[in-house]
Amino acid sequence: MPDTASPDITRRSAQPSGGAILAVEDLTVAFGGLKALDGVSLSIAAGEITGLIGPNGSGKSTLVNTVSGQLPVRGGRIRLHGGDVTGRRPDRIVRAGMARTYQIPRVPPTLTVEEVLSVPLLYAGRDRHRLPGLGDAAAIAAFCGLGPLFRRYCGDLSVTDLRRLEIARALACAPDLLLLDEAMAGLSHEDSVEVMGLIRNVHEQGISIVIIEHLMRVITSLCHRVVVLNNGRLLAEGAPATVLADQAVREAYLGKGFAA
Amino acid sequence: MKTGLTRLLPYILILLATLALVWIDKPFWIQLAIGVAITAITALAWDILSRTGQVSLGSAAFFGIGSYTLAIFEPLIGLTLAWIAVVVVCALAATLLGLLTLRLRRMYFAIATLGFALSMQVLVVVFPDVTGGSGGIAPPVLADGDPRWQLGLIGLLLLAAVALSDTLLGLRFRPAFFMIRTKPELAAASGVPVVRMKIFAFIVSGVLIGLAGACYGGLYGYVVPTDVFTTNWSVLPLAIATLGGMDTTIGPLLGAIALKALEEVARSVIGGTGYQVVYGAVIILFVIGMPQGIVGLLRKAAALAGRRTVAGEKKKERERHA
Repeated sequence: MPDTASPDITRRSAQPSGGAILAVEDLTVAFGGLKALDGVSLSIAAGEITGLIGPNGSGKSTLVNTVSGQLPVRGGRIRLHGGDVTGRRPDRIVRAGMARTYQIPRVPPTLTVEEVLSVPLLYAGRDRHRLPGLGDAAAIAAFCGLGPLFRRYCGDLSVTDLRRLEIARALACAPDLLLLDEAMAGLSHEDSVEVMGLIRNVHEQGISIVIIEHLMRVITSLCHRVVVLNNGRLLAEGAPATVLADQAVREAYLGKGFAA
Repeated sequence: MKTGLTRLLPYILILLATLALVWIDKPFWIQLAIGVAITAITALAWDILSRTGQVSLGSAAFFGIGSYTLAIFEPLIGLTLAWIAVVVVCALAATLLGLLTLRLRRMYFAIATLGFALSMQVLVVVFPDVTGGSGGIAPPVLADGDPRWQLGLIGLLLLAAVALSDTLLGLRFRPAFFMIRTKPELAAASGVPVVRMKIFAFIVSGVLIGLAGACYGGLYGYVVPTDVFTTNWSVLPLAIATLGGMDTTIGPLLGAIALKALEEVARSVIGGTGYQVVYGAVIILFVIGMPQGIVGLLRKAAALAGRRTVAGEKKKERERHA
């Protein structure tokens, strides 16, 4: 494969999964007449951290919302572990092994951290022997740096802690694949460095990860591979350095600021 | 953390009150207790539903369906089966209404449920051959008309409602319910089957209100549509749960006692129908004055008392060291 990923030479990775944990084939999602995703095909490799980037309105969030079962599919297929999950209910998809976080965590203020984590532990119905360090609510909270806040009410948590809780909640689903929707938006530099460390630790547990992120330093330091969306289509995919150097990607998304 | 005693408090309260009233056997107090118990059941049922974010104004529909189902089915299939029919019909109605209002949020949900209650009343009047029309219908009299046994049976139903409410406030349901209320997508993303849980809460709530309605109809063995399908039975559960303290079991109980007491005082002091205006105004003032209800007020008082004891102990500690 050439080093420069541009639309005409991008691999359409609709290959039946050997290494792919999630494969999206010709996915189309529309709101009325507007196509938010227009025939997107891509695959997420098992065991990797994949960055999903693109300008605002490019379809990143739509992609996450669709594969996690919260938006109806107009055309195409979504495969998880090779099994068809197209059009499945969100809670079924969680049970099949894919969890997601929300950018703006809205948890009931009258629940404690422990109680929030109890929900996926009770309902996601996943085998947790695979993740020995993440067997119960206390272990998951400690893993995510929420140990001292275990019995605190969510209404008393800081924004950073709510972000951690959101990752912890998704981890409590014992996923094989974790989709992180802008886990670092609005955090200070120090806090985002901490959350990046947390994401690395999650990956070391053997969980494949997709992160939507605007911060390029996060993408370059965390991701094995990057997928770029633009106007609801796949623009490029490949290794971070290669993709970010690509002319089409820079024009569509990064602009002059990145070169400087 | 709740201690064992506070958890048992509602059960002890109900048992002791019921036994004491049956023992004393004063008709006025027994009638008052029956009124408190029936409204408390509807308020608990309303609260159970509201924990999933479904703020209903349709309680009257189930209250009426309960009493009418018992009245219609008892001559056809006998008393025992008629009670089972009450459960089945209310569960079906709850499922239907729950599915129809599934996508509606907050105010739209409330309006839709209110519409359901109002249309039920119309339906009863439209089919007089089955329902007796506006002339009313005669459900079987509860416990052969002995008020003490009536109170005993309704007390048992209240205990069942309390046990259900407590179960649904346990770790299995409370966090999932609250998550559905705050952000249903987040609940679904945590593996919660949101639709099934919302319908489940609706069924529990609807059946409880229906059974309360059937008991109410059986008190005198005669009901008219304006008796049970009135908006009063839709608003009262909401008012009581809010007044007492939402998301709790003891709240609707305290709220029912407070509201009935208020009603009786207003009735005897002001009388006529004017008392209802004063009674309504006082409820509004209470709700504005204590948004967390009676339970919230008690919690605040307990927190204040706790702080005082902690402060006192610290003072003693200092004196000891001095």
